Amino acid sequence: MQKLNREGFLSGILGTGDVFPDFVLPSAEGRLVSLAARLASGPVVLSFFRGEWCPFCRLMLAALTRALPEIEAAGGQLLALTPETGGLPLSMKRYHGATFEVLSDVDFGVGLAAGVVFKIPKLYRERLVASGNNFPQRHGNAAWCLPVPATFIIRPDGVIGWRFVDVDFAHRAEPEDIIAALRTI
Amino acid sequence: MELSQVRYFIALCRTLNFTRAAEQCNVTQPAFTRAIQRLEEELGGALLFRERNLTQLTELGREMRPHLEAMLDSADAAAALASARRKNTQLSLKIGLGPGIGAASIADAVREVASMLPEVSVHFNEAGPPALIDAMLTDTLDCALLPDDCDMPERLNRWPLYTEAAVLVVPPEHRLAVMNAVTARDVLEENILVGERCGGFAHALVAITGFSLRLQRCNGAAAQMLDLVAAGLGVALLSERLRVGAPLAVRRFSEPELKRRIMLTAVAGRPLNPAASSFVKLCRAQAF
Repeated sequence: MQKLNREGFLSGILGTGDVFPDFVLPSAEGRLVSLAARLASGPVVLSFFRGEWCPFCRLMLAALTRALPEIEAAGGQLLALTPETGGLPLSMKRYHGATFEVLSDVDFGVGLAAGVVFKIPKLYRERLVASGNNFPQRHGNAAWCLPVPATFIIRPDGVIGWRFVDVDFAHRAEPEDIIAALRTI
Repeated sequence: MELSQVRYFIALCRTLNFTRAAEQCNVTQPAFTRAIQRLEEELGGALLFRERNLTQLTELGREMRPHLEAMLDSADAAAALASARRKNTQLSLKIGLGPGIGAASIADAVREVASMLPEVSVHFNEAGPPALIDAMLTDTLDCALLPDDCDMPERLNRWPLYTEAAVLVVPPEHRLAVMNAVTARDVLEENILVGERCGGFAHALVAITGFSLRLQRCNGAAAQMLDLVAAGLGVALLSERLRVGAPLAVRRFSEPELKRRIMLTAVAGRPLNPAASSFVKLCRAQAF
């Protein structure tokens, strides 16, 4: 993490005022979801998740599941993106009883376009392997990359109105901050 | 890492020339070189040897190239699909199906692509693995579903889709139609229809049990084999995922269990059109 910060990693991530590139991705249920189609009915809260194996992601998904009614009341639609494949997005969604869309960012394409993807440093990778994480299998891609768990609020015109990003994967956007931001953008 | 850094690196992999790659990417050479350096810092080492007349990938560069290429293609495909959706572009989706592999399991994914891109034309090609692999390599097929035990070249990306078991298909009045499950001993006296497109379950059964079974050669599509089963010529061992219509009866084959794993395959490093790329992503995202 210090390495990521030192190298100015955050400067490569899309920020407020940037256009979030339009995309279409498969959902956990096997539908194609288009960002532009979603934006046509209001702002989108887009959150990147590392995966079901990550305890902080599980905590945040649980918090977002609880906060969803308020997010929707503030006009937001929630999209959760994960690089996981092979049915893992669906099991993640079912585990949390989540009713928002969980999309599979297959091969990190949207994450790369948003600048949130990083190559897992060697030491951290060794720890992940030792705890039984098989990312080539989970991602269907042996790049050993992960997204920074960033959250963006995208306005209906496609421009990012708010973002939260921290290379420390334990720090996540708070649902109340998302809701407050939705009311002001 | 940034999209532009990855784009520059892939251009450099293809040209092995900083000046030409920077030109191709429409960027000044100092900016290009800086971007490559920053990517190298993030990836933890040099990606290229820079010598005066020779630029070559390092081991790290060679290792990262296919992954970064897949990520770049994925980013471009997500955007290209979004744009094709807005412009209603005409596209084709060409899917190969290995022997005895039906389209029923992937039909939902095809429908989904067609609902996003109504102009898409869908093509299926059912053939043996060598012919399908050749068609993918020569770019006349986007992707193919193949059994995992066939010979695949290194250049083929492969992702496990599902494991399927064999079922026995019999005519409605057949003595085995009343059973819940069928074993190898039950079919010793049966005529088993086998063909190039039945999935090889009957041959696997012979190999596993060592029994001498009565195999009746019958080449053609599964539909024609089923017509012969209905006419009483014999029984067939087919994938449980093939749709078999009434009045034929389908019985689980329990002893021994005959299974095979089906992989989705596509040529590594070849960008797919938005229809094909979204089909592959849909298939990879799910569990079947």
